[in-house]
Amino acid sequence: MTNEACNDMAKIWKNQPTARVNISLEQLRRKAGKLQSRVLWRNLREYAAGALVIGTFGYMAWTIPPLLPRLGCALLIAGTFYILATLHKRGASAVVPAEMAFQTCIDFHRSELERQRDLLRSAWSWYLLPLVPGMTVFLVGLLVFTLQQPNAKAHASVIIAAFAFIAIFCAMVFLGIDRLNRWAARKLQDEIERLDVLTKES
Amino acid sequence: METESAIRTSRQDELYQEAAASHGSALERLVRGYEADPDRCRDLSQEIHLALWQSLARFDRRCSLRTWVYRVAHNVAASHVIRDHRRNSRTLVGLETVEVQAVVEDREQMLDQRQAIERLLQLIQQLKPLDRQVILSRLEDMDAASIAEITGISPGNVATKIHRIKNILARRFYEGGIHDERSLQ
Repeated sequence: MTNEACNDMAKIWKNQPTARVNISLEQLRRKAGKLQSRVLWRNLREYAAGALVIGTFGYMAWTIPPLLPRLGCALLIAGTFYILATLHKRGASAVVPAEMAFQTCIDFHRSELERQRDLLRSAWSWYLLPLVPGMTVFLVGLLVFTLQQPNAKAHASVIIAAFAFIAIFCAMVFLGIDRLNRWAARKLQDEIERLDVLTKES
Repeated sequence: METESAIRTSRQDELYQEAAASHGSALERLVRGYEADPDRCRDLSQEIHLALWQSLARFDRRCSLRTWVYRVAHNVAASHVIRDHRRNSRTLVGLETVEVQAVVEDREQMLDQRQAIERLLQLIQQLKPLDRQVILSRLEDMDAASIAEITGISPGNVATKIHRIKNILARRFYEGGIHDERSLQ
């Protein structure tokens, strides 16, 4: 009965009515063009966001008097450049349609999972870490500058506590993001290991 | 140089037209196995046709056109499922763990095509991408060797999965399928 059920279902499956999608070659060319301009706009949006961050910290580095926060701004700008360059590199390594045919489904699936896993695992080093030195120097610089103001000594403990709170909050957010990414990467690794079993002969 | 590029484009167009004519209907059925929503189904179908057309610029006959078409289609569709899965956190299951409820139904009822297709789609759409690829290929009457070539799963594992699929279909669509399945083991 199992073979019969399978054959019956295959017959029904193949005889089901389907609405044939008729796409002309002209439509395909237009769609490919649209896709390219969508990628271009996405890249431009990323660069515009980067330019905004660089512009804002550049303006601050230029206008604020104390040296340490200015140095922090410069480091944040450098960190943003590094993130943009990494984004650009990763965007350039996007999947080309022909690669989908050169790879079997399991290889393609595996490489996609590996790409996502590596992205998640390395997010700490290319997305978060480049901003840490700049933020640290910026915050310390602001703290020193604030403590140098008249009457600041009277409220020193409150000022230090406020800055410590901000620093701990930022660190917790960064660590939280990293933990979540690593957890997701571990789940992907489990999936990859399950796929490896399937490629081996049973 | 320009002539060479024009020849390549015309060859790519011809191959696409050949692929669409031979496998167009099968691709539509494949899309239904990956996406339930009719609007998104149409989008996925267009995405597959676009990727197929683009990929054929580099078709080098290292495999048959059929294998090429199915690899591109399944890989585009699997990426769609993974994207969707990340957005909705829907849990996908494997053939080994899929819940199979025996449905009391006779063969005439089972042959009510629309109902049978709907139930089959419900089953397929809860599976992980690779298991979908195997069941969809089997429903297109492909043998274990062809499925192994497309998916990359070893032929032995494909055979195991096909055996499981047959059992699932029997239990799900036939009255008393459980007894028949036991008698086969």
